[in-house]
Parts: sequence; C-alpha cells; structure tokens
Amino acid sequence: MKYTTFNQQAVDTMNEPMFFGKPVNVARYDQQRHPIFEKLIEKQISFFWRPEEVDVSKDRVDFLKLTDAEKHIFTSNLKYQTLLDSVQGRSPNIAFLPIISLPELETWVETWSFFETIHSRSYTHILRNLFPNPSEVFDDIVVNNEIKKRATDISKYYDDLIFYTQIYQTKGEGVFEIDGHTYTVNMRELKKKLYLCMNSVNALEAIRFYVSFACTFAFAERELMEGNSKIIRLIARDENIHLTSTQHILNLWTKGKDDPEMAEIAKELEQEAKDIFMLAVEQEKEWATYLFKDGSMLGLNEEILSQYVEYIANQRMAAIGLGQPYATSSNPLPWMNNYLSSDNVQVAPQETEISSYLVGQIDSEVGADDFEEFEL
Amino acid sequence: MIVDSKQPQVCVNKDARFTFEGEDNLLIAMEKQNIDVHYHCREGFCGACRTKICKGKVEYVIDPLAFIDDDEVLVCCCIPVGDVELQTY
Ligand code: FES
Ligand SMILES: [Fe+2]
Ligand SMILES: [Fe+2]
Repeated sequence: MKYTTFNQQAVDTMNEPMFFGKPVNVARYDQQRHPIFEKLIEKQISFFWRPEEVDVSKDRVDFLKLTDAEKHIFTSNLKYQTLLDSVQGRSPNIAFLPIISLPELETWVETWSFFETIHSRSYTHILRNLFPNPSEVFDDIVVNNEIKKRATDISKYYDDLIFYTQIYQTKGEGVFEIDGHTYTVNMRELKKKLYLCMNSVNALEAIRFYVSFACTFAFAERELMEGNSKIIRLIARDENIHLTSTQHILNLWTKGKDDPEMAEIAKELEQEAKDIFMLAVEQEKEWATYLFKDGSMLGLNEEILSQYVEYIANQRMAAIGLGQPYATSSNPLPWMNNYLSSDNVQVAPQETEISSYLVGQIDSEVGADDFEEFEL
Repeated sequence: MIVDSKQPQVCVNKDARFTFEGEDNLLIAMEKQNIDVHYHCREGFCGACRTKICKGKVEYVIDPLAFIDDDEVLVCCCIPVGDVELQTY
C-alpha cells in the first residue's frame, strides 16, 4: 500500500483507527474520532518557548566552581538528553506519520516532534555558553559507550517499525528477501511492531529523562546552574504532555476504544511491554552508576536516584495497566515536585502576572528567596 | 460534631475525613490534611495525581487532559460536588 500525501478517496475518519487505516487527506478537525489529541495540541502550543529567552550566562561561573565529578555529571546528562531529543525530534514523524489515519493524531505527532526540536536547540544554547568549543561534547555522543548502549535500545523499535512500513508501502504483504535477510510482512506483524514501538516511546518519555532531571534540579537546589534548570523545567513540562499522549494511545488500544486487533495484540504482548519498561528502568539505574563513578553530588546518590526511578516507574506503569512492580511507594525526592509543577515554571517576580500559559523573558536575576516562594 | 451540611465531606482511604472548604481543588484540600498525594504538573495534563473515586462526583475546574479511567479523577484540577470517597494510589 503506497503512501499518498493526499488520499483522493473520501474517508470517514470517524470510523478509522489511529494507525493503519485509510491514508489521511484533508487536515480537518471539525470531526474527531479522538478529540483528546487536539486538546493536547492546544496545550502543547500554549507552552511554546524559545531557548534564547532563558539567560544561561550565569551558569558559566557556577560551572567553573563545580568539582570534576560534578562536571562529569552535568555534561554527561546533557549528552544523554541530547541523544534522547535527537531521536524524538525526528522519529515520531518518520515512524508514525506514514501510518496514521486520523488528522488530529497526525497534527499532534507533528506538534510533539516540533517541541522536541526546541529541546535539541536548547542544548546547543546551554553548551555554547559553557564551553568555548561545544563540538567536543556533541562529538562524544556517538562514541561514548554508555550513551551508545542506550541509543541502541531507544532507536531499535522505531527502526524496525520504519523498515517494515517501508517494505509494506513499496511491496505490500509477503515474504521478502532483502540483503540476505528474510522479512515476513503482514498487517498483524506491522501492528505488533507498532505496539512495541509505542511502548518503547512511552517508556522513553516516562522515565528516561528523570535521572538527568533529578541531577539538574539537585544543582538548582544548591542555587547552581539555574539557567540550565529553567530550561530543563520547560523541557520537563513538555515531556509530561508527550507522556500523556502515549499513555492515551496505549490505553485507547488496550481498552478496545480504537482498533480491536490492537486490543488483542496488547494482551498478547503484555509481558514484552513490561520488559521494555523494566529494561529502561535498569538502564536508567546503570546511568546513575555511570554518572557517579567519580563521586556523587550533594543531595543525591546512586541509591536515592534508583529509588526515584522505581517510584516514577511504578506510577507510569500503573497508568497503562502494567501494575506496580517495584517496592518503592513513597517519593524519595519530594523536592523534585517543585520543579515539575507547571505553576512554578516562571519564577522571576515580574512574571507573576503572566498567565501560566505564557513564558516571557526569563530573568537571570534569581535569588535564593525565589525558591522559597513556591507554594506547595 | 456539627457538620455544615452544605460543604462536601471528603473521605480518603477510608480513614481521613474532612470538610472541603472551597479550596481551589481537591489536591490542595488533601495536602492541607497532610495526605500524601502524588503530583507533578498541578494542571491536569501529567496524570500524576490520578486518584480512585469510590463514591460521589467531582467537577473539573481545568479540562483534564491526562488519561484516567472511568472510576478515577485528577485531584489537581477538580472539586467535589457533594460528598466524595477517594482512594489514593
Ligand atoms: S498533577 Fe498533573 S494531572 Fe494532576
Ligand atoms: Fe524532549
Ligand atoms: Fe518528549
């Protein structure tokens, strides 16, 4: 089934599934099978921000004061986040757009990916300010083994779905021999790949950022690297909405509110979905080990971070019906919530009148007092 | 004990009982009682404050965007309409 950028047949999108139905044609939102995606688009756009609005110049002074172990933690986290957003800035578009059948979902995916590109641009903004030559940091991302290990698991489900879709859209269903490998392509197989890919993306948005976030905010708790922390807070807010979207997709499937075949597949592959999630949890914990290899940082250590990942994973897994496999039930890093709450994204006093939807110029003159203003 | 019948009574996890006194949302009311509730965004889009509603009804003050099941509410963006019984995760 060839992809077409404008399907000339009339389609009733109210009766189409999210994926692998008839190709889309008119980008219309007057009737929506799943109106949640348009709501997510609106919310996400209301969060629009530009990295350049955040003054990170003060961070340079702080950075020079960090110990070598802390510099390693800070820079490694930025590298890992750069990897994650490099993948997320392109993959939802490439993997999902060719197989989406609903205009509201198509536009959501495009909106989502666009915000990931803002995240990518913000890392360059941060690094340019800290290093005379940020190229070394970026260059290391593709050679650093710890990061490469994660890249493999993050991209493999996307790559698999993309490749099978390409075969399907050029040759249709069947068994194909390509470069010495045999590929069996049929709709059931494609849908399974989609299901696993969506679970992998969901795990990425759900927990893969949180060890880095915790480190960033732990620096901010000590009034260090606060420009960076403001940017990460904006990113965290976006990631929360991305996560909500993948949770909706997965739940629409499992609860039989979309494609009935996807409900079957969700049952069939439940264990694999769990494994994908729990492997991501293990990799995050290993990441904490790598970060703290030369020494930990004030307020955080490997054990607390691992507990935090488990605590977050329990919540995120429960949200998609995968249970709560970890023992940690209370939040080991309660102060994280101050940074993850969207009320607190604007901290400069002159911005208090601005509605929480708008991000104005963010001032670098933030004192310790500003953090005490958080109302919890 | 005299209870103002117009104010909704909130019961959480079968043991904590309190009167909802017009707080902006149930999350704030629960926090006032030192009940441990998960939250991140406090704006209805992350789903962290998902709570089971065993009895009663709520009204949303902000459109809830995070996924919730039919028997769940997002306490950060709703208020009780009449008495409610909740169960935290
Ligand atoms: S705290 Fe995010 S939805 Fe309630
Ligand atoms: Fe991102
Ligand atoms: Fe994201």
